[in-house]
Amino acid sequence: MSQAPAHPGFDINGIIRHQRNRYPVLLIDRVTDVDPGKSARAVKCFTYNEWFFPGHFDDEPNVPGFVQIESLTQTFIMTFLCMEEYRGMKTNFVSINNVRFKRKVVPGDVLKIEARLTSFKRGLAIGSAESFVDGEPACSGDFVVAVPEILDRYKPRG
Amino acid sequence: MSNRDTYNTAFTETFMIETKDLPGLKYQDISAWDSVGHMALMAALEEAFGIEMDIDDIIEFSGYEAGQAILTKYNIAIEPAV
Repeated sequence: MSQAPAHPGFDINGIIRHQRNRYPVLLIDRVTDVDPGKSARAVKCFTYNEWFFPGHFDDEPNVPGFVQIESLTQTFIMTFLCMEEYRGMKTNFVSINNVRFKRKVVPGDVLKIEARLTSFKRGLAIGSAESFVDGEPACSGDFVVAVPEILDRYKPRG
Repeated sequence: MSNRDTYNTAFTETFMIETKDLPGLKYQDISAWDSVGHMALMAALEEAFGIEMDIDDIIEFSGYEAGQAILTKYNIAIEPAV
């Protein structure tokens, strides 16, 4: 018996259809594969034309940490926003823990990101993500993200 | 640990408050008990008591005392406060 084909992932238009981040804070270029409700992989290609390089820093351009974290998070949320019932929902951070930066990311680098969803229940997503450049670890962290539209369904009536 | 201790601990650890603050506490009385905090509290109670709560009970869980009545549906009796 043949296995079900793997999810093909999403190009930039597919990402835009499934999550609400837009320029200048849409920080993944392609979701290369996704296992809905479990994991996702994405890439982000950094060029010198990124809006933050002139300010960080003019003599030593490198990707700010918050941008790297946002790239991890946007990959992470695709683990559940890829599912039709959650498509396009807005998300909020609840917590970020155990963040580690292991190498500088500079213009020309391609960030490969792997995210895992360990729990998704009643609008709270818990999981982790890590990124690599040329196979070397770049950044990692654990995330808790809320989906307000789902949380609202469980609010006490008072 | 008594059921009341377990119940109280779910509140105090989720919301970072003290046991003396629990009587009369209701949803949104404190900033920590918002919609996200509510889900965290439900998860803490489910884990502590080994239950899975119905959506209607989660919505009805509007306060410290109301929650004790709801837990009786899951055969969890919270002992009277001493």
